[in-house]
Amino acid sequence: MPELTYADALREGLREEMLRDHRVVLIGEEIGVFEGVYKVTRGLLKEFGPERVRDTPISEAAIAGAAVGAALGGLRPVAEIMYMDFVTICLDQIATNAAKMHFMSGGRLKVPFVLRTQYSLGRVHGAQHSQFFPSIFFQVPGLKVVLPSTPHDAKGLLKAAIREENPVVFIESGVLYRTKGPVPDGEYVVPLGQSDVKRTGNDVTIVAVSRTVPEALAAATKLEEQGVTAEVVDLRTIQPLDLTTILGSVKKTGRLIIVSDDVKCGGIGSEIAARVVEEAFDTLDAPILRIASPDMPIPFSPTLEQAYMPSAQKIIESAKKLIG
Amino acid sequence: MFTVAMPRLDPGMQSGKIIEWLKKEGDRVEKDVPIVRIEGEKTTFEAHSPGPGIVRKLLFEPGTDVLVGQTIAFIGEPSEPLPIEAEAHATSEPVGIQKAVLFSPAVSRAQEQSASPVARKMAREAGIDISKVKGSGPGGRIVREDVQMAIEQTKTQMATVSVSPQEARPVRVAKMIKLAGKRKATAERLSYAFHTTVPVTITMEARMEAVLELRRQLQSRTGEDVSMTAYVVKAAAKALEDHEIINSSLEGDELRVYADINVAVAINTPDGLMAPIIPQTNRKSVSEISRDIRDLTERAMQDKLTVLDLTGGTFTVTNLGGYGVDLFAPVINPPQCAILGFGRTFERPVVIERQLRTALVTTLSLVFDHRITDGVPAAQYLQQVKELLEDPQKLD
Amino acid sequence: MQSQKSIASIPHADYSKLGLTKDILQNMLRKMIEIRRFEERVERLFLQEGVLIGPSHLYLGQEAVAAGAISALKDDDLIVTTYRGHGHAIAKGVPMKPLMAELFGKSTGTCKGLGGSMHAAIYPEKGSVYATAIVGSGVPIATGLGLALQQEGKRRVAMTFFGDGATNTGAFHEGINLASIWKVPVVFVCENNMYAMSTRADYAVSAESVAARAEAYKMQSIIADGNDPVSVYLAAKRATDACRNGQGPTLLECITYKLHGHGVYDKGDYRPKEEVEAWLKRDPINGLEANLLKANLSTQTDFDRIEKEVAAEVEESVMFAKTSPALPFDELEKYVYVR
Repeated sequence: MPELTYADALREGLREEMLRDHRVVLIGEEIGVFEGVYKVTRGLLKEFGPERVRDTPISEAAIAGAAVGAALGGLRPVAEIMYMDFVTICLDQIATNAAKMHFMSGGRLKVPFVLRTQYSLGRVHGAQHSQFFPSIFFQVPGLKVVLPSTPHDAKGLLKAAIREENPVVFIESGVLYRTKGPVPDGEYVVPLGQSDVKRTGNDVTIVAVSRTVPEALAAATKLEEQGVTAEVVDLRTIQPLDLTTILGSVKKTGRLIIVSDDVKCGGIGSEIAARVVEEAFDTLDAPILRIASPDMPIPFSPTLEQAYMPSAQKIIESAKKLIG
Repeated sequence: MFTVAMPRLDPGMQSGKIIEWLKKEGDRVEKDVPIVRIEGEKTTFEAHSPGPGIVRKLLFEPGTDVLVGQTIAFIGEPSEPLPIEAEAHATSEPVGIQKAVLFSPAVSRAQEQSASPVARKMAREAGIDISKVKGSGPGGRIVREDVQMAIEQTKTQMATVSVSPQEARPVRVAKMIKLAGKRKATAERLSYAFHTTVPVTITMEARMEAVLELRRQLQSRTGEDVSMTAYVVKAAAKALEDHEIINSSLEGDELRVYADINVAVAINTPDGLMAPIIPQTNRKSVSEISRDIRDLTERAMQDKLTVLDLTGGTFTVTNLGGYGVDLFAPVINPPQCAILGFGRTFERPVVIERQLRTALVTTLSLVFDHRITDGVPAAQYLQQVKELLEDPQKLD
Repeated sequence: MQSQKSIASIPHADYSKLGLTKDILQNMLRKMIEIRRFEERVERLFLQEGVLIGPSHLYLGQEAVAAGAISALKDDDLIVTTYRGHGHAIAKGVPMKPLMAELFGKSTGTCKGLGGSMHAAIYPEKGSVYATAIVGSGVPIATGLGLALQQEGKRRVAMTFFGDGATNTGAFHEGINLASIWKVPVVFVCENNMYAMSTRADYAVSAESVAARAEAYKMQSIIADGNDPVSVYLAAKRATDACRNGQGPTLLECITYKLHGHGVYDKGDYRPKEEVEAWLKRDPINGLEANLLKANLSTQTDFDRIEKEVAAEVEESVMFAKTSPALPFDELEKYVYVR
């Protein structure tokens, strides 16, 4: 099977959908001539022309608003917000308008667009260019929120997101763009709303998302040497959340660790932990632990950022604490 | 209020025996003063007072084995009320015996143990007392594995010895029924009763004409059909008012003489024998008791009896007269002191003032636990029951 | 680059010269009367009858803008409006019954009772594709809508409405700028009623006029008399023609005035009395009627007939709304996502 980088897999996904459906239009800063700050849109302007690959001024509100309007008008826009940190500038269009339009109109309006963004935690970009707060979208009913961790999932999920009738916030990890992985030839789609058990085990369930998935897998490998088998569940989509897979795993292992890059307070781990306790209290053999970023802005200094981030080491320590 | 708990001084120690109390109730002690000598797994040692105060209560007699962590004494000021834990928890129950559904002795709160939700659930479902499971999880938490092990141990304890096929005569089995649920619980309870109580049976015959007449009158006046059992139950309950020692229970060394009189009535259901109670039986009229019996019977048949129905009994009445039995010696309903059985009421020859007559008679048999009381008080009790039945106007 | 133009109120004598037929004019008048009577009825339902609840922003006094601008559109052109959108909805052909039912929160409303007054104008079947409650947010949405129409290539036009206050928001400037560089077929209609709630435009808008802002974005602009439907119509016609000819968007500033305050409960006490009285004298309905009479294009009987028909239509819509049910709560879940 061919291997692609995460960035190239995304590009393939975009390209295939643009070929398949002439309504797919890309809108964003530096996506055309510059070919994307992470080269996700390399070659697309050349292939599809400026009508379908539209460079914009620095206008996040207009980018998101135009995506909403274009979707209303029958196009299938894929808008890019260069850094997740800028998403708050266009939150009105995404959360207050797009997410609610179907409901507020009694089901008459549909706003099918994808808002792609990425978070650069781990690349020493500092407090204002590294933030990861999926909870903001997770907490707005009407949006779907997708976070791939592998090239295979990135391509498949992006294709599914573009075909989705609801607005989708598609969050990529800057750190993962250069990672490689197998991507099958031929047409495939990864459905939204399905988690993936990336590794099976019996002693502890580790639920992870995006950048923390490879960390969880690394931790699982190390733990196995010490006689502890960990089951790693890659959420892939957090809204809608695949609780069934999580519960099935926790029933087997009795122990749950949730690891994600957002800050602990109000992060997605909080919601998942609460749901698991509500639905599967009697399967728990130990308290649920969350590994997340500490409740503080991201420090610039490289060693400090490393200490800040959730890591395989932190996962291993938590697993040991749970098992005793 | 300071709590003195059985300490763990040997690493493997599960329980310690109280050898001797060095202080008595009422003594004033300072902090760190030795108050009791205890025998552990390997050593004998003294436990000290955790703080200053009066020795308010010593919960166990010398010679008793107490689980590590369990409270053995309270030290405080006289003005402080004693905690509920002042009722000692009997330690003699082996792990694995199912607490029967039909009765439950007043159990004090087990020591709170850290246990995971799944461990608690498994223990609950297996009928294992989780406070007796050793925890191997972080901080001594009882986890799933620990309960699993306890369940395995229970199974091996209850394994039976099988006979080698060459020696025994093979018998064809028509039906194989696995003892489970209530039947199993009943079997265990009865076995337990048989092995722990010292049952003695005394019988008396009671003339039932007056009761039958009263019953007939009531029926023609109000249409109400009051059962015979109701009269016997009321008589038994009323007589208990004057013979409190019979209205009691024995668990370990604790003899409890109850203030409430709650007579349990044995009811035969397809699932087995149930003995739900009629609370405050002595305060109810015969008619009320009859209605209660009817309601309990209906609910027993539908398997709708509740925990409140099935616990808190202080005495039991059982009747096999409807099935043609004249006299029988029922098994005591532990931990109660006694049980009253009676058979059918039928006409038989009696001698009254040297004349041969016939009379309607039923045989009352009282089985009592000789550990709790003796023949004379039991006979006096049964005599009063008989007198109440023969003069039933005194009943209500 | 075309600099802004002005279209002052049009004397009736020029009507036929400018291509304004009796049909167009009577249609515009009818629309204005429908809007006026509908909004008056809504006001009574709120204030006198206490039947309606929630925020509502009435279009009273601005009827000429909706009637004039939307009359210049084709049936398959699209509009994006705001919370002050009942007028645009009626002008675009949204029937009164579902419009009124939406204000009552009933399942027969334009949004099944889930949107309310601020989103009641949403009616895709008649080309009213969105009504937003966030000031300024409709502008970039209209830009995106224009993008879709441009790609479609059928010469359709998108028209969006907003107030003077919206022109101070970031979304407005971003949206106008983007529309301009992409040359999308959008008419951005600013209804400058001189106040954003109680904040005067001559304080808040740091420009010679709203139309002057378009110049900063190299966008064409026109200023029309917002109380003369004919002026608005002609301006809108010019703007839509430019769109259809690929000449890009226009910012159309219409100077007008609200009869009452910002929301239905707002009395508008912050406006000087003389100002209000002066504008009341320029009532757009009275103005058009007078002109039609003078131009012999209509009679008072015509007007009376229209009033009678409209009154009946309005009452019917109230009855319809009152007797309709609301959605049951446990049905709401299915509207969160498209399934």
